Amino acid sequence: MNRNILQRRALDKQVAFALFLFLVSFTLPFLQSRENRISEEFTVSAFSLGIGPILLLLLAPLVILTSAFIPNRKRAALLSTVAAAFGIFSPLLVLSIVGNALVADLGAFARYSPASGMYVYLAAVSILYLMKQKAQSRDKVALFLVMLLAIGMGFIGMFDRLGILLEARNLGTRLWREILAHVRITGVSLLISMVIGIPIAFLAFINKAVRRVVFPILNVLQTIPGIALFGLLIAPLAALSMAFPVLREWGIQGIGNAPAIIALSMYALYPIIRYTYTSLSGIDEQVVLAAKGMGMNSTQIWKIVRLPLATVGILHGIRVALVQTLGNATLAKLIGGDGLGVLVFEGLGQASVDMVLLGMLLIIALTVISDRLFQFLINVFTPASLIREER
Amino acid sequence: MQLPFHPILSDTSIFLQAERISVRYGETEALKEVFLQIPTNRVTVLIGPSGCGKSTTLRCINALVKLSSGVISYGDESIQNMSETQLRRTMGYAIQSVGLMPHLSVEENVDLVPRLLGWERSGRGERVGRLLNLVRLEPGIYRNKYPHELSGGEAQRVGVARALGADPPVLLMDEPFGAVDPLTREQLQDEFIRIQRQLKKTVIFVTHDIDEAIRLADYLVIMKEGEVVQADTPEKILSSPQDDFVERFLGPDRSLKRLSLFTADHCCIQEVLSGLEGPSKSVLPEDSTRCYWQVDEGNRPLKGFMWINGRLVSRVVHSVNHTVQTYSSMRECMATILSLGLPAAAVVDDEGHLFGEVRFETIQTISVS
Repeated sequence: MNRNILQRRALDKQVAFALFLFLVSFTLPFLQSRENRISEEFTVSAFSLGIGPILLLLLAPLVILTSAFIPNRKRAALLSTVAAAFGIFSPLLVLSIVGNALVADLGAFARYSPASGMYVYLAAVSILYLMKQKAQSRDKVALFLVMLLAIGMGFIGMFDRLGILLEARNLGTRLWREILAHVRITGVSLLISMVIGIPIAFLAFINKAVRRVVFPILNVLQTIPGIALFGLLIAPLAALSMAFPVLREWGIQGIGNAPAIIALSMYALYPIIRYTYTSLSGIDEQVVLAAKGMGMNSTQIWKIVRLPLATVGILHGIRVALVQTLGNATLAKLIGGDGLGVLVFEGLGQASVDMVLLGMLLIIALTVISDRLFQFLINVFTPASLIREER
Repeated sequence: MQLPFHPILSDTSIFLQAERISVRYGETEALKEVFLQIPTNRVTVLIGPSGCGKSTTLRCINALVKLSSGVISYGDESIQNMSETQLRRTMGYAIQSVGLMPHLSVEENVDLVPRLLGWERSGRGERVGRLLNLVRLEPGIYRNKYPHELSGGEAQRVGVARALGADPPVLLMDEPFGAVDPLTREQLQDEFIRIQRQLKKTVIFVTHDIDEAIRLADYLVIMKEGEVVQADTPEKILSSPQDDFVERFLGPDRSLKRLSLFTADHCCIQEVLSGLEGPSKSVLPEDSTRCYWQVDEGNRPLKGFMWINGRLVSRVVHSVNHTVQTYSSMRECMATILSLGLPAAAVVDDEGHLFGEVRFETIQTISVS
């Protein structure tokens, strides 16, 4: 009972914070429009949106406020689900309706995009989601329905003039190509660092001398700034490709994807070697001693004891390297490589916020999706006995 | 070459012999020309303060530690000429931290050595069940559990079951009950005695706990600074310690410790007075010095009666603390007699049936002998 009250109080604090953010969002410009991609923006605040959109936007804060005063926990939870769903749906609807009205008389290249107010509004909504200690299936269903609705709205053309979608459409097949390039650069770099890093980690575990050499180098490597490493690679690679023209046929030269991949694999080495080494050295020595005392030979100790116990740790290392490399691959563009960094840096060059945003959002989406996929893979590979320990 | 101060038990053969074995780590000498004979089918306990070389000796026996000099012969062969892994598979090994494989279930852990030996798969599951029953773990419940789901005591039991996995002739135990609380420890010792009576293995047991050593040992080896100080039966060592060190090591309550050497079933009187009703004058006359036990239908003791100074004193047997098991030591009998408040205690068998009684006079006789 007491615990329930305390929990409730903590919840009320979070509700209060969310309401405060909602309030702030109404004081900021909610969306903006431009005549073309680089012209100055016109901002519109929520209060000038008209009575319909304002009521729509007020729905979520009002519902959540009501839920805080309802003593029945079940009903309050139901209301918070409704509030959270509307919290995502209403700003999207307002964005589309008001945005389309704004750009109607601004010409063929006009576009609209969300402004700070909408971001703060969405931040408040995300608190509503984080508030729930465990997402219930009801919340997931509601979120899924809202997503479906938003996609449906996109299909009937309600978001045609939304800035980042316009940018995506302008890029056309190039967008798809850059996404694939990003995935490819990341994948190749990761593969190289796995092929090199995992055996090095095993050697370092077995041999003290290797350990003494590997870790200092790794630490220094990790401190070199990304862009500097890219730059450092230009000269030697250029020299190499001059000396051996055959290398150039394979795409290895001073600029382009090759130096990017080399630099990215060097960065990915750190988490891979660290995690692999730690998961090997972290195995309880007593377990190994017992295994030896029972008459396992060294092959059997590796096969029956060390490898099964280290696998999960090694996979976690690869996961960390994957997430890190996906982010770092953005920098490949700086050295003439491909990938989503192209959108970000071209956008910056052209002062096109929408293009930068598009690139960033895609990188974030890629990272989240691949992280989830990998976590799923890890769960599949974790022996039943160790899953319960991790929770 | 049998040195005079290393008498070996006369009623059994020598299973394994270490001759002048030394182990050196750089400058330090962990073992100095140790001579040791291990009797067959008996429990040999190696004991001494930390750093005395007892664990090192044990690890020399299964070749986990390399000898700097000397010979260990196992049967007719020197172990240096045997394959290390083959040798270890014929020796059960249980260690303090248990060292269960955390990613393997209890069944897979117990089954490890048979698996290494490449035994037929059929029958191995059944064997695991029998071993778990032996260490008093219900196979249905424990078979599929993982080590992290076990309590300390349960893990130790699994450790013992695993050491017995391939039915080795010899068990090496390195402080196997060191990491559990005193109560669990005593239970595990009881279980160990019960199992050893059933299986009669050659056991080499390392401990630093003198009570545990005296309780379990048939042959006690006291070590100090890499040398054997005295090796004999616990009775002999307790009655005539070799030197000051041994005497100090045994502690001031030597005579009380000696009681640990005798178990209830060897010292109890089996012809006891008992019945479903309280005692009648004819069964327990006023001048009788005997004890009468009132039992239930299952022959489990409920109450004890005795004439003391012309008064019939009765005590209710409340709990397991008021009875002793057949394999309990006379020291435990002493404690039970004190807690029951009668000059005798009822001995019960595994099912709790009245087996006999231990009398205070018997304990007195033992301590003066």
